[in-house]
Amino acid sequence: MARDSAIPPESFEEILAWLNPDRDVAATMYVQLRHDLAKMFMWGRCADPEGLTDEVFDRVARKVHEVRPTYEGDPRLYFRAVANNLIKENHKKIKTQLSLEDIDLPELPIIATEDEMAAEVEECLQLCLQKLGTDKRALILSYYAKEKQDKIDHRYELAQKFGITVETLRVRVFRIRESLAECIRRCIKQKRK
Amino acid sequence: MNEELLTDAVLREFLLGRLDDEERARIESLFLTDSEAREKVLVIEQELIEDYLEDNLPAEDKQEFLLRYGQTAAQWQQLRITEAIKNWALKENAAVRTVPTEVSTWDRLRTRLWLRPAFVIPIAVAAMVAIIVAGIWLNSGMKRATLEQELAQLNTPASLREVPAQTVLLELSPIVVRSAQPQAELKKSADTRLVELHLPWVQKERYATYRAEVHRVGGGELLSIPNLKAETDGRYQIRARLPAYILTRGQYLVKLSGIDLGGAAGITEEYTFTVDD
Repeated sequence: MARDSAIPPESFEEILAWLNPDRDVAATMYVQLRHDLAKMFMWGRCADPEGLTDEVFDRVARKVHEVRPTYEGDPRLYFRAVANNLIKENHKKIKTQLSLEDIDLPELPIIATEDEMAAEVEECLQLCLQKLGTDKRALILSYYAKEKQDKIDHRYELAQKFGITVETLRVRVFRIRESLAECIRRCIKQKRK
Repeated sequence: MNEELLTDAVLREFLLGRLDDEERARIESLFLTDSEAREKVLVIEQELIEDYLEDNLPAEDKQEFLLRYGQTAAQWQQLRITEAIKNWALKENAAVRTVPTEVSTWDRLRTRLWLRPAFVIPIAVAAMVAIIVAGIWLNSGMKRATLEQELAQLNTPASLREVPAQTVLLELSPIVVRSAQPQAELKKSADTRLVELHLPWVQKERYATYRAEVHRVGGGELLSIPNLKAETDGRYQIRARLPAYILTRGQYLVKLSGIDLGGAAGITEEYTFTVDD
Protein backbone atom coordinates (compact mmCIF):
# COMPACT_ATOMS: atom_id res chain seq x y z
CA MET A 1 0.00 0.00 0.00
CA ALA A 2 1.16 3.49 -0.69
CA ARG A 3 2.11 5.22 2.53
CA ASP A 4 2.80 8.79 3.37
CA SER A 5 6.34 9.37 2.32
CA ALA A 6 8.38 11.39 4.76
CA ILE A 7 10.67 13.17 2.33
CA PRO A 8 11.83 16.53 3.70
CA PRO A 9 10.74 19.39 1.40
CA GLU A 10 14.34 20.39 0.61
CA SER A 11 15.21 16.84 -0.49
CA PHE A 12 12.06 16.65 -2.58
CA GLU A 13 13.00 19.92 -4.29
CA GLU A 14 16.48 18.61 -4.93
CA ILE A 15 15.09 15.43 -6.48
CA LEU A 16 12.90 17.53 -8.77
CA ALA A 17 15.84 19.75 -9.73
CA TRP A 18 17.94 16.66 -10.40
CA LEU A 19 15.27 15.22 -12.71
CA ASN A 20 14.96 18.42 -14.72
CA PRO A 21 15.83 22.12 -14.23
CA ASP A 22 12.33 23.08 -15.37
CA ARG A 23 10.10 22.46 -12.37
CA ASP A 24 6.98 21.70 -14.43
CA VAL A 25 8.82 19.19 -16.57
CA ALA A 26 10.41 17.72 -13.43
CA ALA A 27 7.00 17.33 -11.78
CA THR A 28 5.69 15.41 -14.80
CA MET A 29 8.81 13.25 -14.81
CA TYR A 30 8.39 12.60 -11.10
CA VAL A 31 4.82 11.35 -11.53
CA GLN A 32 5.81 9.14 -14.44
CA LEU A 33 8.84 7.81 -12.60
CA ARG A 34 6.64 6.78 -9.67
CA HIS A 35 4.30 4.95 -12.03
CA ASP A 36 7.20 3.25 -13.84
CA LEU A 37 8.98 2.16 -10.67
CA ALA A 38 5.73 0.65 -9.38
CA LYS A 39 5.53 -1.29 -12.66
CA MET A 40 9.07 -2.54 -12.12
CA PHE A 41 8.13 -3.84 -8.68
CA MET A 42 5.06 -5.51 -10.10
CA TRP A 43 7.14 -7.22 -12.81
CA GLY A 44 9.56 -8.21 -10.04
CA ARG A 45 6.66 -9.98 -8.27
CA CYS A 46 6.81 -7.74 -5.21
CA ALA A 47 3.65 -7.72 -3.13
CA ASP A 48 3.48 -4.00 -2.47
CA PRO A 49 4.60 -2.00 -5.54
CA GLU A 50 3.33 1.36 -4.27
CA GLY A 51 4.91 1.02 -0.84
CA LEU A 52 8.24 -0.01 -2.34
CA THR A 53 8.12 2.95 -4.72
CA ASP A 54 7.77 5.22 -1.69
CA GLU A 55 10.76 3.46 -0.17
CA VAL A 56 12.86 4.17 -3.29
CA PHE A 57 12.10 7.87 -3.04
CA ASP A 58 12.83 7.85 0.69
CA ARG A 59 16.20 6.24 0.09
CA VAL A 60 17.10 8.58 -2.75
CA ALA A 61 16.01 11.56 -0.66
CA ARG A 62 18.48 10.55 2.06
CA LYS A 63 21.35 10.39 -0.44
CA VAL A 64 20.49 12.99 -3.05
CA HIS A 65 22.70 15.73 -1.52
CA GLU A 66 25.82 13.64 -1.83
CA VAL A 67 25.02 11.67 -4.99
CA ARG A 68 23.75 14.43 -7.25
CA PRO A 69 26.95 16.53 -7.56
CA THR A 70 29.04 13.60 -8.81
CA TYR A 71 26.50 11.41 -10.57
CA GLU A 72 26.82 11.25 -14.33
CA GLY A 73 24.01 10.22 -16.63
CA ASP A 74 20.25 10.06 -16.44
CA PRO A 75 19.19 10.28 -12.76
CA ARG A 76 16.30 7.89 -13.43
CA LEU A 77 18.89 5.14 -13.79
CA TYR A 78 20.00 5.80 -10.24
CA PHE A 79 16.39 5.32 -9.11
CA ARG A 80 16.31 2.07 -11.07
CA ALA A 81 19.41 0.83 -9.27
CA VAL A 82 17.85 1.60 -5.89
CA ALA A 83 14.62 -0.14 -6.96
CA ASN A 84 16.58 -3.13 -8.17
CA ASN A 85 18.29 -3.44 -4.79
CA LEU A 86 14.92 -3.33 -3.11
CA ILE A 87 13.58 -6.11 -5.35
CA LYS A 88 16.57 -8.27 -4.41
CA GLU A 89 16.07 -7.51 -0.72
CA ASN A 90 12.41 -8.40 -1.08
CA HIS A 91 13.16 -11.76 -2.70
CA LYS A 92 15.86 -12.53 -0.15
CA LYS A 93 13.43 -11.79 2.64
CA ILE A 94 10.86 -14.21 1.23
CA LYS A 95 13.51 -16.87 0.58
CA THR A 96 15.11 -16.75 4.01
CA GLN A 97 12.13 -16.03 6.22
CA LEU A 98 9.61 -18.76 5.84
CA SER A 99 7.43 -17.49 8.64
CA LEU A 100 4.61 -15.44 7.19
CA GLU A 101 4.44 -13.34 10.32
CA ASP A 102 7.84 -11.85 9.54
CA ILE A 103 7.05 -10.81 6.01
CA ASP A 104 6.00 -7.26 5.53
CA LEU A 105 2.74 -7.91 3.78
CA PRO A 106 0.68 -5.01 2.51
CA GLU A 107 -2.56 -4.22 4.23
CA LEU A 108 -5.26 -5.40 1.90
CA PRO A 109 -7.83 -2.74 1.27
CA ILE A 110 -11.47 -3.56 1.78
CA ILE A 111 -12.49 -4.32 -1.73
CA ALA A 112 -15.89 -4.23 -3.24
CA THR A 113 -17.65 -7.50 -3.98
CA GLU A 114 -17.42 -8.83 -7.50
CA ASP A 115 -20.84 -7.51 -8.48
CA GLU A 116 -20.22 -4.12 -6.89
CA MET A 117 -16.87 -3.79 -8.62
CA ALA A 118 -18.33 -4.78 -12.00
CA ALA A 119 -21.19 -2.31 -11.59
CA GLU A 120 -18.80 0.44 -10.50
CA VAL A 121 -16.49 -0.11 -13.48
CA GLU A 122 -19.42 -0.31 -15.90
CA GLU A 123 -20.97 2.92 -14.59
CA CYS A 124 -17.67 4.78 -14.76
CA LEU A 125 -16.93 3.39 -18.22
CA GLN A 126 -20.20 4.83 -19.51
CA LEU A 127 -19.43 8.22 -17.94
CA CYS A 128 -15.92 8.29 -19.37
CA LEU A 129 -17.05 7.19 -22.83
CA GLN A 130 -19.24 10.28 -22.96
CA LYS A 131 -16.14 12.41 -22.53
CA LEU A 132 -14.27 10.59 -25.28
CA GLY A 133 -14.23 12.23 -28.73
CA THR A 134 -16.19 10.55 -31.52
CA ASP A 135 -13.07 9.66 -33.53
CA LYS A 136 -11.34 8.11 -30.56
CA ARG A 137 -14.43 6.19 -29.59
CA ALA A 138 -14.80 4.88 -33.14
CA LEU A 139 -11.16 3.81 -33.25
CA ILE A 140 -11.42 1.86 -30.00
CA LEU A 141 -14.61 0.23 -31.26
CA SER A 142 -13.01 -0.85 -34.53
CA TYR A 143 -9.82 -2.01 -32.87
CA TYR A 144 -11.65 -4.34 -30.49
CA ALA A 145 -14.16 -5.66 -33.01
CA LYS A 146 -12.48 -9.07 -33.12
CA GLU A 147 -10.82 -11.40 -30.67
CA LYS A 148 -8.33 -14.25 -30.66
CA GLN A 149 -6.77 -15.08 -34.07
CA ASP A 150 -9.21 -12.96 -36.08
CA LYS A 151 -8.02 -9.78 -34.43
CA ILE A 152 -4.54 -10.01 -36.00
CA ASP A 153 -5.89 -9.87 -39.56
CA HIS A 154 -8.53 -7.38 -38.55
CA ARG A 155 -6.01 -4.95 -37.03
CA TYR A 156 -3.74 -5.29 -40.05
CA GLU A 157 -6.67 -4.38 -42.33
CA LEU A 158 -7.59 -1.50 -40.05
CA ALA A 159 -4.04 -0.11 -40.18
CA GLN A 160 -4.06 -0.36 -43.97
CA LYS A 161 -7.38 1.47 -44.06
CA PHE A 162 -5.84 4.36 -42.10
CA GLY A 163 -2.62 4.21 -44.13
CA ILE A 164 -0.45 3.56 -41.06
CA THR A 165 1.56 0.64 -39.73
CA VAL A 166 0.12 -1.79 -37.21
CA GLU A 167 2.75 -0.50 -34.76
CA THR A 168 1.44 3.05 -35.06
CA LEU A 169 -2.15 1.85 -34.80
CA ARG A 170 -1.60 -0.03 -31.58
CA VAL A 171 0.28 2.89 -30.01
CA ARG A 172 -2.59 5.18 -30.95
CA VAL A 173 -5.14 2.83 -29.45
CA PHE A 174 -2.95 2.33 -26.39
CA ARG A 175 -2.94 6.09 -25.70
CA ILE A 176 -6.71 6.37 -26.03
CA ARG A 177 -7.31 3.32 -23.87
CA GLU A 178 -4.87 4.58 -21.22
CA SER A 179 -6.70 7.88 -20.95
CA LEU A 180 -10.01 6.01 -20.77
CA ALA A 181 -8.69 3.67 -18.07
CA GLU A 182 -7.29 6.62 -16.11
CA CYS A 183 -10.67 8.35 -16.29
CA ILE A 184 -12.36 5.17 -14.99
CA ARG A 185 -9.86 4.83 -12.12
CA ARG A 186 -10.41 8.47 -11.09
CA CYS A 187 -14.19 8.02 -11.32
CA ILE A 188 -14.09 4.89 -9.10
CA LYS A 189 -11.89 6.68 -6.58
CA GLN A 190 -14.29 9.60 -6.53
CA LYS A 191 -17.28 7.32 -5.98
CA ARG A 192 -15.61 5.58 -3.05
CA LYS A 193 -14.88 8.82 -1.22
CA MET B 1 15.40 3.15 -29.18
CA ASN B 2 17.11 -0.16 -29.79
CA GLU B 3 14.49 -1.78 -32.06
CA GLU B 4 16.40 -5.03 -32.28
CA LEU B 5 16.26 -5.48 -28.56
CA LEU B 6 12.62 -4.62 -28.16
CA THR B 7 10.78 -7.13 -30.31
CA ASP B 8 7.31 -8.20 -29.23
CA ALA B 9 8.60 -11.66 -28.32
CA VAL B 10 11.46 -10.31 -26.19
CA LEU B 11 9.12 -7.92 -24.39
CA ARG B 12 6.67 -10.72 -23.63
CA GLU B 13 9.50 -12.75 -22.13
CA PHE B 14 10.55 -9.68 -20.15
CA LEU B 15 7.04 -9.10 -18.81
CA LEU B 16 6.73 -12.74 -17.79
CA GLY B 17 10.08 -12.58 -15.97
CA ARG B 18 11.98 -14.93 -18.24
CA LEU B 19 14.99 -12.81 -19.23
CA ASP B 20 18.38 -12.91 -17.54
CA ASP B 21 19.46 -10.05 -15.29
CA GLU B 22 21.51 -8.30 -17.96
CA GLU B 23 18.70 -8.27 -20.53
CA ARG B 24 16.18 -7.25 -17.90
CA ALA B 25 18.39 -4.36 -16.77
CA ARG B 26 18.74 -3.10 -20.34
CA ILE B 27 15.01 -3.14 -20.96
CA GLU B 28 14.19 -1.56 -17.61
CA SER B 29 16.70 1.23 -18.29
CA LEU B 30 15.16 1.88 -21.69
CA PHE B 31 11.69 1.74 -20.16
CA LEU B 32 12.60 4.46 -17.67
CA THR B 33 14.53 6.76 -19.97
CA ASP B 34 13.23 6.33 -23.52
CA SER B 35 9.61 7.37 -24.05
CA GLU B 36 9.26 5.36 -27.25
CA ALA B 37 10.58 2.21 -25.61
CA ARG B 38 8.36 2.84 -22.59
CA GLU B 39 5.28 3.04 -24.74
CA LYS B 40 6.23 -0.12 -26.58
CA VAL B 41 6.62 -2.05 -23.34
CA LEU B 42 3.22 -0.81 -22.15
CA VAL B 43 1.59 -1.70 -25.49
CA ILE B 44 2.89 -5.27 -25.26
CA GLU B 45 1.82 -5.43 -21.62
CA GLN B 46 -1.69 -4.43 -22.66
CA GLU B 47 -1.73 -7.14 -25.34
CA LEU B 48 -0.64 -9.68 -22.77
CA ILE B 49 -3.55 -8.60 -20.58
CA GLU B 50 -5.93 -8.97 -23.54
CA ASP B 51 -4.60 -12.46 -24.26
CA TYR B 52 -5.17 -13.41 -20.65
CA LEU B 53 -8.73 -12.10 -20.74
CA GLU B 54 -9.38 -14.02 -23.96
CA ASP B 55 -7.92 -17.16 -22.37
CA ASN B 56 -5.24 -17.18 -25.05
CA LEU B 57 -2.21 -17.73 -22.83
CA PRO B 58 -0.52 -21.11 -22.46
CA ALA B 59 -0.73 -22.52 -18.91
CA GLU B 60 2.83 -21.52 -17.90
CA ASP B 61 2.39 -17.98 -19.22
CA LYS B 62 -0.92 -17.69 -17.41
CA GLN B 63 0.73 -18.75 -14.17
CA GLU B 64 3.50 -16.17 -14.59
CA PHE B 65 0.98 -13.56 -15.61
CA LEU B 66 -1.16 -14.02 -12.51
CA LEU B 67 1.90 -13.83 -10.27
CA ARG B 68 2.50 -10.34 -11.62
CA TYR B 69 -0.91 -8.99 -12.56
CA GLY B 70 -3.35 -10.75 -10.24
CA GLN B 71 -1.94 -10.16 -6.78
CA THR B 72 -3.36 -6.90 -5.50
CA ALA B 73 -6.80 -5.32 -5.52
CA ALA B 74 -5.47 -2.54 -7.78
CA GLN B 75 -4.19 -5.09 -10.28
CA TRP B 76 -7.55 -6.89 -10.34
CA GLN B 77 -9.28 -3.58 -10.82
CA GLN B 78 -7.00 -2.93 -13.81
CA LEU B 79 -7.93 -6.29 -15.34
CA ARG B 80 -11.61 -5.52 -14.76
CA ILE B 81 -11.29 -2.15 -16.49
CA THR B 82 -9.61 -3.63 -19.56
CA GLU B 83 -12.22 -6.38 -19.64
CA ALA B 84 -15.04 -3.82 -19.41
CA ILE B 85 -13.61 -1.75 -22.31
CA LYS B 86 -13.22 -4.85 -24.48
CA ASN B 87 -16.68 -6.16 -23.65
CA TRP B 88 -18.25 -2.78 -24.34
CA ALA B 89 -16.58 -2.66 -27.76
CA LEU B 90 -17.60 -6.23 -28.63
CA LYS B 91 -21.17 -5.57 -27.56
CA GLU B 92 -21.39 -2.32 -29.53
CA ASN B 93 -19.89 -3.97 -32.59
CA ALA B 94 -22.33 -6.86 -32.36
CA ALA B 95 -25.25 -4.43 -32.09
CA VAL B 96 -24.03 -2.34 -35.04
CA ARG B 97 -23.50 -5.44 -37.16
CA THR B 98 -26.84 -7.04 -36.32
CA VAL B 99 -29.18 -4.20 -37.23
CA PRO B 100 -28.05 -3.36 -40.77
CA THR B 101 -27.19 -6.96 -41.55
CA GLU B 102 -30.76 -8.10 -40.97
CA VAL B 103 -32.05 -5.64 -43.56
CA SER B 104 -29.31 -5.80 -46.18
CA THR B 105 -28.89 -9.56 -46.13
CA TRP B 106 -32.60 -10.02 -46.31
CA ASP B 107 -32.94 -7.69 -49.28
CA ARG B 108 -29.93 -9.09 -51.04
CA LEU B 109 -31.14 -12.64 -50.67
CA ARG B 110 -34.59 -11.76 -51.87
CA THR B 111 -33.53 -9.65 -54.81
CA ARG B 112 -30.48 -11.54 -56.00
CA LEU B 113 -31.29 -15.14 -55.19
CA TRP B 114 -35.07 -15.04 -55.06
CA LEU B 115 -34.81 -17.01 -51.92
CA ARG B 116 -37.96 -18.85 -51.01
CA PRO B 117 -39.42 -18.45 -47.51
CA ALA B 118 -38.64 -22.12 -46.84
CA PHE B 119 -34.90 -21.27 -46.65
CA VAL B 120 -35.35 -18.34 -44.37
CA ILE B 121 -36.22 -20.22 -41.21
CA PRO B 122 -33.11 -22.46 -41.18
CA ILE B 123 -30.90 -19.39 -41.78
CA ALA B 124 -32.60 -17.49 -38.97
CA VAL B 125 -32.25 -20.51 -36.67
CA ALA B 126 -28.55 -20.82 -37.54
CA ALA B 127 -28.03 -17.13 -36.79
CA MET B 128 -29.83 -17.47 -33.46
CA VAL B 129 -27.71 -20.49 -32.53
CA ALA B 130 -24.54 -18.54 -33.42
CA ILE B 131 -25.63 -15.62 -31.21
CA ILE B 132 -26.47 -17.95 -28.31
CA VAL B 133 -23.13 -19.80 -28.63
CA ALA B 134 -21.26 -16.47 -28.69
CA GLY B 135 -23.21 -15.37 -25.61
CA ILE B 136 -22.37 -18.57 -23.76
CA TRP B 137 -18.71 -18.27 -24.75
CA LEU B 138 -18.48 -14.69 -23.52
CA ASN B 139 -20.30 -15.61 -20.35
CA SER B 140 -17.96 -18.54 -19.64
CA GLY B 141 -14.95 -16.25 -20.10
CA MET B 142 -16.40 -13.82 -17.58
CA LYS B 143 -17.15 -16.63 -15.14
CA ARG B 144 -13.59 -17.95 -15.40
CA ALA B 145 -12.13 -14.51 -14.74
CA THR B 146 -14.51 -14.04 -11.82
CA LEU B 147 -13.58 -17.41 -10.30
CA GLU B 148 -9.85 -16.70 -10.69
CA GLN B 149 -10.29 -13.39 -8.96
CA GLU B 150 -12.30 -14.98 -6.18
CA LEU B 151 -9.63 -17.67 -5.68
CA ALA B 152 -6.82 -15.12 -5.62
CA GLN B 153 -8.64 -13.11 -2.96
CA LEU B 154 -9.51 -16.14 -0.86
CA ASN B 155 -5.89 -17.28 -0.83
CA THR B 156 -3.95 -14.12 -0.04
CA PRO B 157 -1.89 -14.53 3.16
CA ALA B 158 -4.08 -11.88 4.82
CA SER B 159 -7.32 -13.73 3.94
CA LEU B 160 -5.88 -17.04 5.13
CA ARG B 161 -5.14 -15.53 8.53
CA GLU B 162 -8.90 -15.13 9.08
CA VAL B 163 -11.26 -18.08 9.37
CA PRO B 164 -14.65 -17.03 8.05
CA ALA B 165 -17.83 -18.69 9.25
CA GLN B 166 -19.12 -21.68 7.30
CA THR B 167 -15.61 -22.83 6.41
CA VAL B 168 -15.04 -26.58 6.33
CA LEU B 169 -11.46 -27.85 6.83
CA LEU B 170 -10.31 -30.93 4.99
CA GLU B 171 -7.04 -32.63 5.97
CA LEU B 172 -5.48 -34.46 3.02
CA SER B 173 -2.42 -36.71 2.79
CA PRO B 174 -0.16 -37.07 -0.23
CA ILE B 175 -1.01 -40.18 -2.21
CA VAL B 176 2.39 -41.78 -1.52
CA VAL B 177 1.96 -41.34 2.23
CA ARG B 178 -1.71 -42.18 2.49
CA SER B 179 -1.29 -45.87 1.54
CA ALA B 180 -3.93 -47.72 3.54
CA GLN B 181 -5.63 -44.67 5.03
CA PRO B 182 -9.21 -44.09 3.87
CA GLN B 183 -9.72 -41.35 1.32
CA ALA B 184 -10.67 -37.97 2.76
CA GLU B 185 -14.32 -37.13 2.32
CA LEU B 186 -15.89 -33.73 2.30
CA LYS B 187 -19.42 -33.53 3.62
CA LYS B 188 -20.96 -30.22 2.66
CA SER B 189 -24.10 -28.75 4.07
CA ALA B 190 -26.25 -26.08 2.49
CA ASP B 191 -24.50 -23.50 4.69
CA THR B 192 -20.96 -24.44 3.69
CA ARG B 193 -19.43 -21.43 2.01
CA LEU B 194 -15.72 -22.23 1.88
CA VAL B 195 -13.60 -25.36 1.83
CA GLU B 196 -10.06 -25.16 3.13
CA LEU B 197 -7.71 -27.90 1.99
CA HIS B 198 -4.73 -28.70 4.23
CA LEU B 199 -1.98 -30.09 2.05
CA PRO B 200 1.08 -31.33 3.98
CA TRP B 201 4.32 -31.12 1.99
CA VAL B 202 6.54 -34.07 2.82
CA GLN B 203 9.30 -33.44 0.28
CA LYS B 204 12.67 -32.11 1.42
CA GLU B 205 12.73 -29.40 -1.24
CA ARG B 206 11.16 -26.12 -0.24
CA TYR B 207 9.82 -23.55 -2.72
CA ALA B 208 9.05 -19.85 -2.78
CA THR B 209 5.44 -20.53 -3.72
CA TYR B 210 3.17 -23.43 -4.60
CA ARG B 211 0.44 -23.92 -7.17
CA ALA B 212 -2.56 -26.14 -6.52
CA GLU B 213 -4.51 -27.54 -9.45
CA VAL B 214 -7.84 -29.12 -8.63
CA HIS B 215 -9.08 -31.72 -11.11
CA ARG B 216 -12.38 -33.47 -11.12
CA VAL B 217 -11.64 -37.15 -11.73
CA GLY B 218 -12.95 -37.98 -15.17
CA GLY B 219 -13.13 -34.27 -16.05
CA GLY B 220 -10.40 -31.75 -16.80
CA GLU B 221 -8.71 -29.15 -14.64
CA LEU B 222 -11.36 -27.42 -12.61
CA LEU B 223 -9.27 -24.59 -11.28
CA SER B 224 -5.74 -23.52 -10.49
CA ILE B 225 -4.60 -21.51 -7.47
CA PRO B 226 -1.16 -19.93 -7.91
CA ASN B 227 1.13 -18.22 -5.44
CA LEU B 228 0.26 -20.22 -2.32
CA LYS B 229 2.76 -19.91 0.52
CA ALA B 230 3.81 -22.70 2.85
CA GLU B 231 3.18 -22.51 6.59
CA THR B 232 5.70 -23.83 9.05
CA ASP B 233 3.76 -23.80 12.30
CA GLY B 234 3.99 -27.38 13.54
CA ARG B 235 4.28 -28.99 10.17
CA TYR B 236 5.16 -27.76 6.70
CA GLN B 237 1.90 -27.49 4.86
CA ILE B 238 0.05 -25.42 2.30
CA ARG B 239 -3.50 -24.24 2.75
CA ALA B 240 -5.80 -23.61 -0.20
CA ARG B 241 -9.33 -22.25 -0.02
CA LEU B 242 -12.06 -22.85 -2.55
CA PRO B 243 -15.63 -21.65 -2.74
CA ALA B 244 -17.83 -24.63 -1.79
CA TYR B 245 -20.25 -24.12 -4.65
CA ILE B 246 -17.77 -25.36 -7.25
CA LEU B 247 -17.35 -28.73 -5.55
CA THR B 248 -20.20 -31.05 -6.44
CA ARG B 249 -20.56 -34.74 -5.61
CA GLY B 250 -17.65 -36.75 -7.05
CA GLN B 251 -13.97 -37.53 -6.72
CA TYR B 252 -11.25 -34.89 -6.96
CA LEU B 253 -7.50 -34.89 -7.48
CA VAL B 254 -5.29 -32.05 -6.24
CA LYS B 255 -1.86 -31.56 -7.81
CA LEU B 256 0.38 -29.35 -5.71
CA SER B 257 3.57 -28.12 -7.41
CA GLY B 258 6.47 -26.20 -5.92
CA ILE B 259 7.38 -23.05 -7.86
CA ASP B 260 10.88 -21.63 -7.48
CA LEU B 261 11.80 -17.93 -7.47
CA GLY B 262 12.44 -18.05 -11.19
CA GLY B 263 8.86 -19.24 -11.70
CA ALA B 264 9.82 -22.79 -12.75
CA ALA B 265 7.70 -25.68 -11.49
CA GLY B 266 9.46 -28.29 -9.36
CA ILE B 267 8.19 -31.36 -7.53
CA THR B 268 4.47 -32.17 -7.59
CA GLU B 269 2.54 -33.96 -4.84
CA GLU B 270 -0.92 -35.42 -5.42
CA TYR B 271 -3.87 -35.70 -3.07
CA THR B 272 -7.39 -37.01 -3.55
CA PHE B 273 -10.72 -36.51 -1.84
CA THR B 274 -14.37 -37.13 -2.49
CA VAL B 275 -17.33 -34.82 -2.09
CA ASP B 276 -20.62 -36.11 -0.81
CA ASP B 277 -23.30 -33.46 -0.59
